[in-house]
Amino acid sequence: MNYLCETQVAPLVNVRRERILPASGEVLVRLGERVDPTQVVAQANIPGDFRVLPVAHLLGVSDSKIKGYMRVNVGDEVRRGQIIAKRGSRVVKSPMAGVLASRGGGRVLVEAPPMPFELRAYIQGTVTNVLQNRGVVIETTGAVVQGVWGAGGESFGVLKKLVKSPDRPLRARDIDPSCHGSIVIGGSGLNKAVIERAQELQVRGIVTGGLPPELISQVRRSPIPVVATEGIGTISMSEPFFQLLTTNDGREASISGQVKSRWGIVRPEIIIALPAESLPPTQSQPGTPLTVGVRVRAVRAPYLGQVGTVVTLVEHPRHIETDARVRGAEVDLGQASPIFIPLVNLEILR
Amino acid sequence: MARESSIDSILLVDCGTVMTKVVLLDRVGGRYRFVARGEALTTSEYPWSDVTSGIRHAAEQIAQVTGRVFFDTAGDLLSAEQRGADVLTATVSASPPLEVVLGGLVRDLSVASAERAAAGTYSRVKAIIASDGSGGLTEEERVSTIHKATPDVICIAGGLENGAERPVLEIVASAALACSLMDEGARPRLLYVGNSQLRQKVAEVVKGHVELRVADNVRPTLTEENLLNAQEELDGFYRQNKMVQLSGMDALEAWSPTPLTPTARAFSRTVQYLWHLGDSSRGVLGVDVGAAHTTIAAAFDGHPFLTIRGNLGIAFGGERLLQEQGVETLTRWIPEPVTEDEILGTLINKELYPASIPQESRELWLEQALVREAIRGTLEVARPGWKPGVAQTYPHLLPLCDTIIISGGVLVNTPRPGQTALMVLDALQPIGVSTLVLDKYGLASALGSVAAVKPLAAVETLDSGGFVNLATVVSPVGRARPGDTILRVKMTYDDGSGFSVEVQYGNIEVLPLLPGQQAILELRPTKRHRFDVGLGGPGKGGKRRVNGGLAGLIIDARGRPLRLASEPEERQVQARQWLWDVGG
Repeated sequence: MNYLCETQVAPLVNVRRERILPASGEVLVRLGERVDPTQVVAQANIPGDFRVLPVAHLLGVSDSKIKGYMRVNVGDEVRRGQIIAKRGSRVVKSPMAGVLASRGGGRVLVEAPPMPFELRAYIQGTVTNVLQNRGVVIETTGAVVQGVWGAGGESFGVLKKLVKSPDRPLRARDIDPSCHGSIVIGGSGLNKAVIERAQELQVRGIVTGGLPPELISQVRRSPIPVVATEGIGTISMSEPFFQLLTTNDGREASISGQVKSRWGIVRPEIIIALPAESLPPTQSQPGTPLTVGVRVRAVRAPYLGQVGTVVTLVEHPRHIETDARVRGAEVDLGQASPIFIPLVNLEILR
Repeated sequence: MARESSIDSILLVDCGTVMTKVVLLDRVGGRYRFVARGEALTTSEYPWSDVTSGIRHAAEQIAQVTGRVFFDTAGDLLSAEQRGADVLTATVSASPPLEVVLGGLVRDLSVASAERAAAGTYSRVKAIIASDGSGGLTEEERVSTIHKATPDVICIAGGLENGAERPVLEIVASAALACSLMDEGARPRLLYVGNSQLRQKVAEVVKGHVELRVADNVRPTLTEENLLNAQEELDGFYRQNKMVQLSGMDALEAWSPTPLTPTARAFSRTVQYLWHLGDSSRGVLGVDVGAAHTTIAAAFDGHPFLTIRGNLGIAFGGERLLQEQGVETLTRWIPEPVTEDEILGTLINKELYPASIPQESRELWLEQALVREAIRGTLEVARPGWKPGVAQTYPHLLPLCDTIIISGGVLVNTPRPGQTALMVLDALQPIGVSTLVLDKYGLASALGSVAAVKPLAAVETLDSGGFVNLATVVSPVGRARPGDTILRVKMTYDDGSGFSVEVQYGNIEVLPLLPGQQAILELRPTKRHRFDVGLGGPGKGGKRRVNGGLAGLIIDARGRPLRLASEPEERQVQARQWLWDVGG
């Protein structure tokens, strides 16, 4: 049996997202509460900046002697410019407002006030678990589209289709003032002007099939979440992804460009919360082996991004273009005959 | 676990970052032999979120071949009585690395030694704090650097024995201060590996702020380096805190009668064992290129040296390499024009699907270029820490190595064996006569782990063809003009047949010598150029019995160090020619 990577492109499934604070804090919602994507569900104080002051050196005394010259105790609040220590005409002032956090080795440490951090719900749904001081679990039903590459944070807006077909690139002139506050759906790629125009009109997110490599650093600097459904390059958006997104054109959606490739993988995604009395039966469970009839996507050139159905699981290794002998499957990509693709270059679309 | 004397069948598991490998050894005809192997995706992430699923998936492949089932329907390991395996041992490289901040006085001395100590385990150096040169930071910068890095361990070196005190204690104080700013439960540990006479003072400075461990000074004198103790401490941190972090590791630990072993550590054991079998005046080298790490294990004079470069593998680290070293680092090995954007796109897409393989030649050449640079980058870290003794005939070149073990999917599964040989020759640039050995079934690290349970199994499996000979390589050292004849070679097969060739400087010659075949190789450097072929010095020739391999017998007369053409077009011609020479 063969087990492959999986990507979700599901019209209606149960969606469960853990929302965790970066530091211990306070949860602001209750179990069972309905929440909106922009609602703050928990908050925490993140430690601020700090300064190390070499007091003994500045006063001209040995490390062990500074206690007698201190004007402020450990734990006291200090104002910017306030005298912390004094020896005759020599004074040491606090370079910023904060708290005198510690003293030792002839120096003191002033910590700036902590910065408040607000954790938003991200998706519309119901709080199904409260993790004390840490965060919440929110669940909903809806459509899920997982990307493979992304940048930027999380956002929320109305989906807006801007290209006619998944093989068309997104152009700057496609983005007009009506796109303000929306998540725009492109096709095979985009260019620098698109990013600039999207920023100018405060677009909430961009979904594209491929992202040209020359734009990576610009997209990483941009505050707008960007999700590439296929990868890096000019690549048409796979038909199932384009269809699902455009079917939901005009609906509100959450978008996340966050990505982590190892040790707690995080995939970029678009979630469209949809009310449902019951969920349709799933055709196959996540994590189950590849079988004939399963919908797969090729993840390497020359078929990168093409979606098809497994026709045959080939028993013995075969030669591919590079002359390597590998195990694979014959996949119906809509061409005259099925294409042999290495198993490791396929992923299952669930 | 069965008693050692009654162990017949052994399952060897290796949980890699991307792939999990399972190997079955069994006693056949009274000797341990490799029986079968399975490989599946590592399953530490959704939808499986349990590393043992990947082990079962890989074991299913062995079951298909052998008819033996190793797990029951609930997923538990079957014992030998239930027709499973007598014992299971496991190596792991899938876990997150130990995150380390290094501190010390001199960047090129104590800090470099600490860096090599950290490279002896799966680690990631998040920041380096050196007191000298441009790395000299203010105290506030030091504290801030450590605080932002949130490491697992702060490793502070510095101070020769009886050497400087104050600067070392200043760094220690900064570390203590940075730790005092962190929540108590999230504080790193401090490993002090500097001037041993300062241990008491260091303990006083850090008291109440951070848990202190000490190890031998990694740089006791200007010329001496002592990494073993520090490496053991760091390796211990990794095993205790990081290796078991993945979900399912507790079950895997329960299945194995011996502690889980870091893959690279087990690989190093096998390399050390092989050194004992060979010519003790020369070294043995092992190279393993994985998805996320590249490992070089060496043994010289009986001493093991292990270097792991984290985040520099075939799937992860390519983008950073491109940013740090520029596109030419990779394009210089690629036999056709390729743009930086194309390279960047391919590297990132590979990271998104790390198990995927190139289907087109362009992507294959890029992947193989990355392999060369991963090995070269790791070698740069490793070499200054080696003590090769008499094997080091030229200070600027690789020491003489008898055997070079080649491991890792990207190296052993190349379309043609010559490509593997060429990657290794380009990256390591061995000298003299060496045998390249292919770890075709991924046994090198597995056997290092089984040695703890059943040493005989490791020995007999190696003896019974666990490895495959790739090539015998002759790499002459000297200077000549391209096209000059530098070496006369006569090969005599065991049936008495043979031939002679003249080797010109700048070329690669591949002579037919099949796996299992042996021959007498006579090497005669020309008097004019007096090249050193590793048979006693410049100009000295001689005869050697050599073994055949998948890529034959290779004479690499391109010179050492290898010089690439300066112009991109010429380099592409060069790369095409060399590729052609080794069989495409």
